[in-house]
Amino acid sequence: MKTLIEMKNVTKDFLNGEEVIHALKLTNFSAGEGELVAIIGPSGSGKSTFLTILGGLQRPTTGQVLIDGKPFSQLSDKQKTKVRFNKIGFILQQSNLIPFLNVKEQMLLHNRISKKRIDKAWLDDLLLSVDVKRFEKKYPNELSGGERQRVAIAKALYHNPSVVFADEPTASLDTKRAFAVVELLKSETKRQKKATIMVTHDERLVDYCDKVYVIVDGVMTQKK
Amino acid sequence: MYLAWKELKQSKGKFALIIVLVTLISYLVYFLTSLAYGLASSYTNGINKWQADNIILNYDANDNVMMSYLADAEYDRVEVDGQKAKLGFFPAIISLDNAPADVDTREAIYVFGIEDNSFIAPDQFADITLSNGVVIDESIKDAGYKLGDTIIITRTNGDTLEWVIEGFTTKTTYQTAPIIYTSMDNYRLYAFGNAAVPVFSAIVVKGSVNNLANATSSILVSYTIPDFINTLPGYTAQVLTFSLMIGFLILIVAFVLGIFIYVLTLQKINMFGVMKAQGIASSYIAKSVIWQTIILVFFGMIIGLALTIVSGIFLAAVAPFAFNVLFYFGISVAFIAFALIGGLFSVRAVTKIDPLKAMGA
Repeated sequence: MKTLIEMKNVTKDFLNGEEVIHALKLTNFSAGEGELVAIIGPSGSGKSTFLTILGGLQRPTTGQVLIDGKPFSQLSDKQKTKVRFNKIGFILQQSNLIPFLNVKEQMLLHNRISKKRIDKAWLDDLLLSVDVKRFEKKYPNELSGGERQRVAIAKALYHNPSVVFADEPTASLDTKRAFAVVELLKSETKRQKKATIMVTHDERLVDYCDKVYVIVDGVMTQKK
Repeated sequence: MYLAWKELKQSKGKFALIIVLVTLISYLVYFLTSLAYGLASSYTNGINKWQADNIILNYDANDNVMMSYLADAEYDRVEVDGQKAKLGFFPAIISLDNAPADVDTREAIYVFGIEDNSFIAPDQFADITLSNGVVIDESIKDAGYKLGDTIIITRTNGDTLEWVIEGFTTKTTYQTAPIIYTSMDNYRLYAFGNAAVPVFSAIVVKGSVNNLANATSSILVSYTIPDFINTLPGYTAQVLTFSLMIGFLILIVAFVLGIFIYVLTLQKINMFGVMKAQGIASSYIAKSVIWQTIILVFFGMIIGLALTIVSGIFLAAVAPFAFNVLFYFGISVAFIAFALIGGLFSVRAVTKIDPLKAMGA
């Protein structure tokens, strides 16, 4: 199995006045093709810090992050933005949809920016697989929370990234819809051979995951 | 532009309000410009019609052509490279000879006394056949004056003269009043009571003036035509007032639009933050904000300009309203340029968005 994302000897410290806060203690982590990895832990434990360092939105104090075997965390902000655009998909708590674009336009925005040709077969396949093809002309405010999250999953996968980050993707959903979303995330991760890293506080979802890590007070340990 | 346009289409109501605001202000600016240009033109049409370069007055007249008197001998001594022409100038009140007693036909006009074949004579002047024939600006028609009418012109001592309208000229006004073109003899008869008085008001020169100081018996002053226009009573004050109003209105549009776009940008900080986290470059988002500003200004301007044209069609007869494509173009460019400067605040806000904070991490 090919490793798609790696974190090597990463720490993250913050200064709070004169006090140093160790938000993330020495951490090593990797995720490979077709793996759905859960990161769980209580609020303030360092989950978001972990995910944002992995996604290049924060610099680690020490160590490095590699994507597809290439250094990522040391790149300039501009270079990291480019890597995020091409190699990372994001799914956020409240969905990450643009309110004035319909479902299809949400996907095609990537083509417009990258000026890449639209692969209609791939678009249809993706929308069908997450069961939102029938909503392709609808705007986010015309969809339910579960439908929006399914669209967000499709959007995160549309540009064929290596890694998908899901930050509390089920937080705004009821149990039934939350399970459905994670099942979908898992099936798409396997089908498209991505590495999906899901941060959640909901331990009921870990059964769907290949690996489970727990973060408490900035210390990450593997549970499964 | 794609995101800007999509958002405009989705939130029509919100953006329609901004467009209405830009429309109203741009309408006011275009309208004032047309009025200012019309008014300025009606001050100077008669002068610009000469297509001259200089005008020579008596020094003692203190820039005022009405107070300037020159002798024929001085005209002969002035040497120019080009053409020169005598101008007799005098204000007057005219009325219609055949008007009913209960109808007031009095009109304020300016008499321009000119010589035959003078380069400052309008084309219609050559068609005069009567010794008391005149041509007059066509705006007098609105007061009921017609071709062939006999007009009464009253001298300062109460004597009256009768002149006959033999033609109409276009765009020949001076300080908003119509100009009557008549012979030098008629002018002298009216101004001095004697056609043989060898006096006139100014020398109009097409070309350059030579030996002004040495060749004449009295002190003469030469003005370029633009300088002369600026000495017209009220002209500079009026142009400056309008220019200041127009300039400030353009600045107000820039500020108002800048604030609107800035507030809209602040409302979208979370969305922009998420987009940045997804790897969409700040420059792409900033361009979208700038395009939105341009589109809003463009629509507001177009509607404002259309309203100005419609207003002009209806008001042309009652107000000194004149269209000027060059001014409209300049103002439109200024509108867009200043609105873009206002939009730069939003661009700065976009570049400063921290995706981490916007995502609530």
